[in-house]
Amino acid sequence: MMQRTSSVAIYVLATVAGLIAFTYPLFLGVVTAADPFDAAGSTVTPIGGTALLTSLLLLIGLGALLIEVQGQAVNAKVLAAMGLLVAIASVLRFLETAIPGPGGFSPVFVPIILAGYVYGARFGFLMGTMTMITSALITGGIGPWLPYQMIAAGWVGMSAGWLPHPDRRRLELALLTGFAIFWGLFFGFILNLYFWPFIAGEVKLATTDSAGLPGIFARYGAFYLTTSLVWDIARGLGNGLMMLAIGIPAVKALSRFRDRLRFEIV
Amino acid sequence: MIMNARAWVVWVGAAMVATMVAQNPLYSLTILMAALVVSQNFGRQDNGFRLPIGRISLFVVAFSAVYTALFVHEGTTILFELPDWPLIGGAITLEALVEGASNGLVLVALLAIFAALNAIVPVSELVRLVPGALHDLGVVILVAVTYVPETRRQLTRIRQAQEIRGHQLSGVRDWQPIVVPLLVGGLERSMRLAETMVARGYGATTHKNSSTGERLLLVLGLVAALTGWLLVLWLGWPGWLLLASGLLAVVVILVRRGRAIRRTRYRVEVWSRRDILLVTVAIVALLAVLVPWSWVDQSSLAYSPFQTVSLPPYDLFIGLALASLALPAFLATRKG
Repeated sequence: MMQRTSSVAIYVLATVAGLIAFTYPLFLGVVTAADPFDAAGSTVTPIGGTALLTSLLLLIGLGALLIEVQGQAVNAKVLAAMGLLVAIASVLRFLETAIPGPGGFSPVFVPIILAGYVYGARFGFLMGTMTMITSALITGGIGPWLPYQMIAAGWVGMSAGWLPHPDRRRLELALLTGFAIFWGLFFGFILNLYFWPFIAGEVKLATTDSAGLPGIFARYGAFYLTTSLVWDIARGLGNGLMMLAIGIPAVKALSRFRDRLRFEIV
Repeated sequence: MIMNARAWVVWVGAAMVATMVAQNPLYSLTILMAALVVSQNFGRQDNGFRLPIGRISLFVVAFSAVYTALFVHEGTTILFELPDWPLIGGAITLEALVEGASNGLVLVALLAIFAALNAIVPVSELVRLVPGALHDLGVVILVAVTYVPETRRQLTRIRQAQEIRGHQLSGVRDWQPIVVPLLVGGLERSMRLAETMVARGYGATTHKNSSTGERLLLVLGLVAALTGWLLVLWLGWPGWLLLASGLLAVVVILVRRGRAIRRTRYRVEVWSRRDILLVTVAIVALLAVLVPWSWVDQSSLAYSPFQTVSLPPYDLFIGLALASLALPAFLATRKG
């Protein structure tokens, strides 16, 4: 009982930490109402300070989640299967040249969603985080944004595990496809929140002249439209198409291995 | 000679913190130069994929300048006036352009620092940095990284096999006969891999669940981190203490668990003179920006072009400390 409660508490708190870390640029300007144009003596924490602080918060959340998720004993088969699936997802991520698809297309979420859907939320979470770290390692993409990518991709896999599992194949396919399109779009939307404060700067975030939250949303909207909407639509559609094409046979194939993963001689 | 990944991580961490604390375009430029020099000198040639740092930098700085200029209409040096359009209408000022460009420069410096890490430290060394407590996840990463080339070859083989059968990649549907065999083949191989792991004794000894005390510590740490984060915004430094104690909780658990798991290493880590130098310059740079020395002009750590644009202040001590981040490139043997 105690175990279960603390486990739920860790999940919830870490998720809240992650959510705050992603969305703080949206509400920071509302809560700290100092005028940044006051030449000196401004009490607002400089942007670097806040970004650093928030990265720390995210790292603590991610670390706690990884400790908690991994603590639930995993056997060699699960580890090996996850490793191979992550390798496949990482290869698929950079497949643009091999398989023709729309621009900015990378079907990286399809394997993550499928793994989470078939093997459960915990496997999905780990699969998402491990895919991001592995593809960063092999492509030289390590950076301060990596923990953000990891936790967001982890959410993709985790939420896939929570989806209902309908019996009708058509319904299942529609559900998975819609889910892939949604995350293809939404992943870009939340990850852009990481870069926004750097581009926009504290001045933009803390200006009080344009009516609080709506004004901030309008500006983020403009930033998002100009930088990434086109890519995100392409990615959303690409993931959706990929899911449409391979969804059902892939679910069947993965399900066949589910029992083998659980089978263990003690 | 093998790079000591730990020393490089310390260097990168210090450079990153310094970049984020010293928000002054001249300091950002200093760090950017240091990072470029270091990655030029130590970077491996065999790294297939490189970020086009030059082009990205130009884009980031330009975009950030234009974006800020369009949205911030403060400042006294008015370049021209935009008509009364929604959101962006108003005076376009030089101050806003400068502010945007200097924000962009911070991001570029961060990019360059991590590009250096990616270019210098080999993947195998980076994987070894996974804390011992998360050993299982380290195994997953290691398996994945090891099998990526094999998976790529497998993909080519499947495509060739399907081509022989008259399969052509033209539409979305054509992915199915390629991706599904890739998945099944990969999982089959993972079963064989798991058998060989178990045959060598993997997982025979370390089956233990986390204790309740550890979990409670983790919960407390998270609560401390969250409240600390909120407190920093309103109260300042007491919040940092709480946040640090949250970090401490996670680290304590990692260390405790790590002790319980025994790992043997094939290659022993060595600290060469260059590694010590790396850590030293990192600490010097950090101390220079974090400690309020009496002889240092602290106000130069922030720069705001408002109300009228002016040359950013430059403190020689901080500038030198930041520039020393490039020292390892000059003093250590080239390409080791």
